[in-house]
Amino acid sequence: MSDKGEVLFQIRDLCKAFGSNLVLDHISTEIRSGEVVVIVGPSGSGKSTFLRSLNLLEIPTSGTISFEGMNITDKNTDINKYRQKIGMVFQHFNLFPHKTILENLTLAPIKLLKKPMGEAEKEARELLARVGLEEKEKAYPSQLSGGQKQRIAIVRSLAMHPEVMLFDEPTSALDPEMVGEVLNVMTDLARDGMTMVIVTHEMGFAREVGTRILFIDEGVIKEENKPAAFFENPSNPRLKEFLSKII
Amino acid sequence: MRAVPCLHEYLAKAAGSRAPPQLAKGFAYNLTRHAGLLDGSPAGQREGCEGVEEFKLKFYTNFIKDDRYMYLVKGLGNTLAITFLAVLLGIVLGFLVAIIRSTHDKTGKGKIANMICQVYLTVIRGTPMMVQLMIMCYVVFGNYNISKLIVATLAFGINSGAYVAEIVRSGIMSIDQGQLEAGRSLGFGYAQTMWYIIMPQAFKNVLPALANEFIVLLKETSVCGYIGMMDLTRGGDIIRSRTYEPFMPLIGVALIYLVMVMVLSGLVGKLERRLRTSER
Ligand SMILES: Nc1ncnc2c1ncn2[C@@H]1O[C@H](COP(=O)(O)OP(=O)(O)OP(=O)(O)O)[C@@H](O)[C@H]1O
Ligand SMILES: [Mg+2]
Repeated sequence: MSDKGEVLFQIRDLCKAFGSNLVLDHISTEIRSGEVVVIVGPSGSGKSTFLRSLNLLEIPTSGTISFEGMNITDKNTDINKYRQKIGMVFQHFNLFPHKTILENLTLAPIKLLKKPMGEAEKEARELLARVGLEEKEKAYPSQLSGGQKQRIAIVRSLAMHPEVMLFDEPTSALDPEMVGEVLNVMTDLARDGMTMVIVTHEMGFAREVGTRILFIDEGVIKEENKPAAFFENPSNPRLKEFLSKII
Repeated sequence: MRAVPCLHEYLAKAAGSRAPPQLAKGFAYNLTRHAGLLDGSPAGQREGCEGVEEFKLKFYTNFIKDDRYMYLVKGLGNTLAITFLAVLLGIVLGFLVAIIRSTHDKTGKGKIANMICQVYLTVIRGTPMMVQLMIMCYVVFGNYNISKLIVATLAFGINSGAYVAEIVRSGIMSIDQGQLEAGRSLGFGYAQTMWYIIMPQAFKNVLPALANEFIVLLKETSVCGYIGMMDLTRGGDIIRSRTYEPFMPLIGVALIYLVMVMVLSGLVGKLERRLRTSER
């Protein structure tokens, strides 16, 4: 599957420095349509920075990222239009606390896609049903559990019909008993063919759902492979050390 | 007793135009006391009666006679008008400055605009309100024949804007960075994210502080008299200068402020409780 899809992201020599701290060091890779790319690596290695570069929450210091053949690091790209195609799910959910769940889902489609309210709400309710939270549409985020919040955050992104979904440690802020419900939603999404890039520490999920795994360490992709090979035959010594620590 | 107010009034008026205030005041006061003693009521009753009667008399002289309460009514009207208009101006200015400043803090954009804002904040918060008011009246508009109401509104609005700005800015900065990122990653521009996502939350957070700022403003307008504007305080003071009787008009004025502030504070408290219960 991962070899068949068309190339969505073409990343060349991506570098990102914060001051003198070089966090991403000449990263090059591509991401194809339908892939579920899982990014693992030690803390502070640049995983989040890499992911956030993909939707330009971090502006690369040098190098290029093109999406569907268009160079998005170019100054003339309409960043807002581009971001509509890229969904993002955060570790801390970042739901809008002043809006109801339904409004969280409809805000962007109504304001950005100019969808009529009725249509946006109908679609939002379908999405809520998909994650089993249709009865929460009138609730506010603060009334939900962590797992419920994250499921809402996922469908809030989906309401924009993105072509790619980015996840930055979506289950790291959850109580253990809630991790499963979120991973299930993500698994369903992957089965539906969504292109996903996921930073996570959930190795079971990575192995089961991922189509390719990247090991980022010290701002460099030190190893990338299909899940089975990645976990069974790691070649990079740093990866071996990393895997031995977490499994 | 009916003749007494007339006499009192007459003497006060006569004395007011010529004699120094101190003398006139003492003179009128003595006369009133004297008038009370001349009253032919029995000695036992007289003490209590005298108190009530004297109060009635004073109330009559200070507020009813010659429609003097109209000074307070007109003054209150001006106080409320200045406060209301200055609040509007303060909100507009304050939000503008807050947005410029927090945008600069977050993105580093708008260096010059931010510097202008900083000068504004420093000057306004570093000088007394009364001095600002007089500068506005005698320096800025010194050579123009312009309504005092406008002068006062500008002075108080510009002053209040500086405090509103810092309140709103703290509100904006208190919103988690993740909210901005969530908005931006959905495809909202910076301004749209501010408008739909950040500002409503920031506004809700600072609403009680804002309301308090306006209660302060209401009281601060009492220095309006210094530019010859008849606000509530000045209205009371005019009555005092007519009747040579400070107690009634000034306590009356104080009570009116107190009631307004208490009502407003009560509303703010209610608002705070409602904001806390909604969405939680
Ligand atoms: N906005 C920033 N300003 C300065 N330094 C930053 C910034 N964001 C990240 N860094 C630094 O970049 C490095 C990589 O951070 P990043 O968040 O990408 O790591 P990570 O791999 O996601 O780690 P974790 O597993 O802890 O989330 C860290 O040393 C971090 O301190
Ligand atoms: Mg991270």
